[in-house]
Amino acid sequence: MKLTIKNWTGVATWRWVANDDNCGICRMPFDGCCPDCKLPGDDCPLVWGQCSHCFHMHCIVKWLQSQPVNQQCPMCRQPWKFNNK
Amino acid sequence: MAGLSPSERRLQKELMSLMKEPPPGVEVDFDLAEQNLLHWIINMEGAAGTLYEGERFQLQFKFSNKYPFDSPEVTFVGNNIPVHPHIYSNGHICLSILTDDWSPALSVQSVCLSIVSMLSSCKEKQRPPDNAFYVKTCNKNPKKTKWWYHDDSV
Repeated sequence: MKLTIKNWTGVATWRWVANDDNCGICRMPFDGCCPDCKLPGDDCPLVWGQCSHCFHMHCIVKWLQSQPVNQQCPMCRQPWKFNNK
Repeated sequence: MAGLSPSERRLQKELMSLMKEPPPGVEVDFDLAEQNLLHWIINMEGAAGTLYEGERFQLQFKFSNKYPFDSPEVTFVGNNIPVHPHIYSNGHICLSILTDDWSPALSVQSVCLSIVSMLSSCKEKQRPPDNAFYVKTCNKNPKKTKWWYHDDSV
């Protein structure tokens, strides 16, 4: 038997690979977005610190902006450095 | 959760989890918090086997619309203020996580646990040495006080 495919529709799912389910700052799921955004995905990305803790980018940036000195990871209090790897 | 601000959305989640799994001796006034998510009253019991066993206290939490980036204002209220070296007779608490050491990863639950543990490790019931002067001169909001955190033992 010979088949001819006339057309097809691809469906994909995605999720962030993080070491936790929820952002420790806003408590929203990582697969959702931060409370200031409407849609999850590239517009509301996750970022990691060198300490390995992970947050919504918008959440950790808000925290760092509120801390003029001694910017620390909210989870482990080590100095916060973005992991750019 | 439509119509709630980011602070209120987080507080709504915290309220639900505190109702579902309250730490021992801690009970939130759910109806009051539901009416205004930015103002909570927590009933707290002194832990068994400590100097505060059998006593009941009330903690008030006030949140700003910057919560959790801004720490909550936490004071003891009501007619029984614990007698403790870090708790002033007007209900103000000298506890570093409420100001300098606040982190947005902390929560109502973790603050309650810190306070229960601060009470539990107390060896002798007494007011802070500067109580009389402090309560006369302080601001109503304990977050306006420049606290000195010098004693980690209690």
